[in-house]
Amino acid sequence: MSELTLLVLRIGFLILLWAFVFAIVYALRSDLFGQKVRRLPAQNGASAASAPFAASATAPAAAPAAAAGPSAASATAVTEAVPAARKQQAPAPAPTPTAEEVAAEPPARRLVITSGAKEGMELELGDDQLTIGRSADSGLVIRDDYTSTHHARLMLWSDQWMIQDLDSTNGTFLNSKRVSIPTPVPLNTPVSIGTTTFELRR
Amino acid sequence: MPPTSTDQTGAGPTFTRSIAITVRQPSKLRNLELFLLLVALGIAGTAIALVQLGVNGSIDVGVLIQAGALGMLALGMHVALRVVARDADPFILPIATTLNGLGIAMIYRIDLARGDSGWESLGVRQMVWTGLAMIIALGVLILIRNHRVLARYRYVAMLVGIVLLLLPMLPGIGLTLNGARLWIQLGSFTFQPGEIAKIALAVFFAGYLVTARDSLSLVGRRVLGLQLPRARDLGPILIIWVVAMAVLIFQRDLGTSLLYFGLFVVMIYVSTGRLSWVLIGLGLFLGGAAIASRTLTYVEGRFAAWLDSFNPEVYDAQGGSYQLVQGLFGMAQGGLIGSGLGQGSPTITPLAESDYIIASMGEELGLVGLFAILGLYLLFVARGFRIGFNGTDDFGRLLAVGLSFVVVLQVFVVVGGVTRVIPLTGLTTPFLAAGGSALVANWIIAALLLRLSDEVRHQPRLVVDE
Repeated sequence: MSELTLLVLRIGFLILLWAFVFAIVYALRSDLFGQKVRRLPAQNGASAASAPFAASATAPAAAPAAAAGPSAASATAVTEAVPAARKQQAPAPAPTPTAEEVAAEPPARRLVITSGAKEGMELELGDDQLTIGRSADSGLVIRDDYTSTHHARLMLWSDQWMIQDLDSTNGTFLNSKRVSIPTPVPLNTPVSIGTTTFELRR
Repeated sequence: MPPTSTDQTGAGPTFTRSIAITVRQPSKLRNLELFLLLVALGIAGTAIALVQLGVNGSIDVGVLIQAGALGMLALGMHVALRVVARDADPFILPIATTLNGLGIAMIYRIDLARGDSGWESLGVRQMVWTGLAMIIALGVLILIRNHRVLARYRYVAMLVGIVLLLLPMLPGIGLTLNGARLWIQLGSFTFQPGEIAKIALAVFFAGYLVTARDSLSLVGRRVLGLQLPRARDLGPILIIWVVAMAVLIFQRDLGTSLLYFGLFVVMIYVSTGRLSWVLIGLGLFLGGAAIASRTLTYVEGRFAAWLDSFNPEVYDAQGGSYQLVQGLFGMAQGGLIGSGLGQGSPTITPLAESDYIIASMGEELGLVGLFAILGLYLLFVARGFRIGFNGTDDFGRLLAVGLSFVVVLQVFVVVGGVTRVIPLTGLTTPFLAAGGSALVANWIIAALLLRLSDEVRHQPRLVVDE
């Protein structure tokens, strides 16, 4: 075995070692820890913004839903619907339904995101609570400038979903009203956290 | 909100183009692990072949076949993970395998230089211990399906930890090697129970701190911006400190003592978030170490060897800095890219296969190789902390952090000692150094981290990212 071969092998081995290190770092880049972001096709956001608006006339009048978010704000009829994050400066006197009004129906089974980066996505709700926040251990992870690490949680209390704000910095808004105590969430009512708004549906 | 804006989104799923979420893609993770594991086995095999080429100039297939059997075991572990922990972290097993394989190659290389063979050679024993450790790790993965079970046995874990710590003190089975009384001997079989004790203690600390952290973190007076704990809450840390000092005095082992105490201080810091605990812990340990360095001769010797290594008197003294300086010379000889596996002379340094395996690696793989090894440790520990960070329950979080910290503290103490950053203390380099008990303990740590990560991955269901 010549000196040169050994030298080449020696350097090759070091390169192999570092290639292994970088392979791991490369694989970690996307951080496979269950935080993969599933993006919708680009045109979806635009169509989702216009479709509900067109259908608003036929929507059930019982649901006092207030659309909020960048896409809805562009519609002419809702000049006051500002992005959710700015809402806390303009507290609105919209009435929040009491538990009695909504408790009779079976609980919602889906959470649909109606505005924000993941508009149109939906999530099956189980029987368990759903934690919401910036931290990766939340059930619904929302990463924007307004969301706290452990922001809020949805809890199922005797067949009624309740939203509880976990002392978040920028607040959780149910129908544009800041939530301070665990509050029942009626169906089709917007809940805003940061720039994301979702509704519960059956 | 004015009434004009109502009913915007009450139209139902047809208009929002709902998309159901399917989150889990476990096979992807396992396939990544398989790929990395094959690379890891390639690295280990190449290292052994290069050792043979460097020392003998020819390849001995027999040893490669033995190593291949271990490789099959690692692959078996991967297959088992596909069944029992499909969502486990895909990096831990390949990293552990690589480090273990590099360690075997280096120990085998030292055997070749010394002319040892058969059961007497450390390399063969290391391989057998690796096999055993992997099987035990597999058993842990299969038996412990839910880490919360461990929280239930936290006081049992405490008892087991203390018994294991005290075991070497028993007359008859206790064994003193190189001045430290850390081993037990049964026939020709020696074992270092303290290695397993650190896992038991990590389980106990995690379980204990989950219940006790409120009183440890919430009450107390603020002094100079620091929240100091109440005097009565100082009990646990003082007990651990006394235990650590007892290890230092009676078992004469600085490293183990530092490991136990450091583990507790870090876990109490992580669980309470109070900087004051770290300061109290550091103060207690530095105070203890300062007293020990004046009163215990072996600690005093270590300090002298650390501060004044190149003084000929210290160099020639019994228990002086000869080993430390030889290790430094070896690493200097290795330079940037090393002398090449099998082509240096690491055996000049005493204990080149265990305490000084980092110096041996530094000589033959150079700074570049040593940094790759440190990078692997960094990735391993980063994964561990990540698992802790993403944990679903406080016990699991603390346990993952504690176990990772056991690894990181050992690496720091050993590498720091060998490179003369801190006084040299005898701890094993995780996965690399010769020593069966340490291998078993570290593979159990890897198995527990795999188990914890498997449960973490079930969590987030939808991520909204800007």
